[in-house]
Amino acid sequence: MERIFDVKYLISALPHVISGIPVSLSIAVVAFFFGTMLGFIGAMAKIYKIPVLRQITVAYVSFVRGTPLVAQIFLIYYGIPVILKIVNEKMGTNLNVSGIPAILFIFIAFSLNAGAYLTETIRSAILSVEKGQMEAAYSVGMTPTQTMLRIILPQALKLGLPNISNFFIGLLKDTSLAFVAAVPDIMGEAKIVAGRTSRFFEAYIDAAVIFWMICVAFELLIHVAENHTRRNEKGVVS
Amino acid sequence: MIEIKNLHKTYQKNEVLKGIHLTVNTGETLAIIGSSGSGKSTLLRSLNLLETPDEGTITIDDFSFDAKNINRTVRSEARKRATMVFQNFNLFENKTALENVTEALRVVQKIPKKEADAIGEEYLQKVGLLERKDYYPTALSGGQKQRVAIARALALKPKVILFDEPTSALDPELVQEVLAVIKKVAKEQVTMIIVTHEMDFARDVADEIAFMDGGKIVEVSPAKEFFTNSKNERVQQFLANYLAQFSYSI
Repeated sequence: MERIFDVKYLISALPHVISGIPVSLSIAVVAFFFGTMLGFIGAMAKIYKIPVLRQITVAYVSFVRGTPLVAQIFLIYYGIPVILKIVNEKMGTNLNVSGIPAILFIFIAFSLNAGAYLTETIRSAILSVEKGQMEAAYSVGMTPTQTMLRIILPQALKLGLPNISNFFIGLLKDTSLAFVAAVPDIMGEAKIVAGRTSRFFEAYIDAAVIFWMICVAFELLIHVAENHTRRNEKGVVS
Repeated sequence: MIEIKNLHKTYQKNEVLKGIHLTVNTGETLAIIGSSGSGKSTLLRSLNLLETPDEGTITIDDFSFDAKNINRTVRSEARKRATMVFQNFNLFENKTALENVTEALRVVQKIPKKEADAIGEEYLQKVGLLERKDYYPTALSGGQKQRVAIARALALKPKVILFDEPTSALDPELVQEVLAVIKKVAKEQVTMIIVTHEMDFARDVADEIAFMDGGKIVEVSPAKEFFTNSKNERVQQFLANYLAQFSYSI
């Protein structure tokens, strides 16, 4: 008779589910990298009230935060081919849609999504650095760029790190949505392997445990990073 | 030397500086006193271009500029010559005491690290805090923070140091250590402008005293005369109020 809960299968499916880790991690890392850049530009546009760029940022952040990530993935996944077709027609070019790997659409969708959230995270971190810090830097003759890089950002990083870490962990888990665009991450691989035997519960336990372990590893990393950014609170250089 | 001519500054509709004229000679110490809201801090901050004046001309040492054409270069040239010491110290929170002093030496004056560290230690020694050089601001008392801030300003060898109520945020018992350091600096040939509420200190340290009221300088006179012989009614009233606080009896 078939077992109700198959521990052997749970273990044997593990390598297959693990094979999704590189996809999940690469989506999270790429999206975090480009998202941070977009977020920094967006934060600057909002803080310094840069004309045009600021209005674009406001609309972008509002749209991304106001729509589900799944919807954004579909819009990119189906939208870019349509745009390419229009470009081909109008410009007489011959850009090939099917030549683009699906994961590229996922990278774009996740980066744009991360950029919007990080705009607000970075903006609030920069604004929570006391204004006197900037004035003191200006007063001793530092340029706005030197002030930003050497005085404001290091302090903003310290204040913003808990929120940024939180966001990264959320992002890592959201990569499970990539499967809607046929990109098999950890969850996707679990679905595929379970589909062959219909032992979904066991496969999803594998996926959940793997996600959890990765997140635990990140929490440790974040802890080290936080200790480093908060070293001034210890008072003395040891 | 500092020369200010016809300086104006308006926030929204509130005119804070209504045509300031003021001269401070090289090596002299000027104390600015007056009630809150009279424009003292705005005047001081305008000299460092932390506030942008609307009208007027300012000369700091050999550099003159007009409020009408303030740009990046003007800001940088003005700040090369004048440095500010703030009421709230504003030490860089992410830097140690020594790094606070050496930061601008390294990134603004481009002095190599070793040399900058030596200069930094020299000035921390001057304010009596060399043994605290590796402390972050969180581990320093208010008085110590302000002394590091003074070292930070001095190390740049500015022509002018601007003190914006340097002791107002300090516990009464920490005030003296900071005033002692400022007095020491006043003896050197640095031009200083001090906005302060410490009358005794002003009389002690300043060569001249300027009294501000309602966005204007209503009197400038040598320190001794100011406290004893002022003819100005507003000044007499201010000093009477100040002295009255010592005459209450129980």
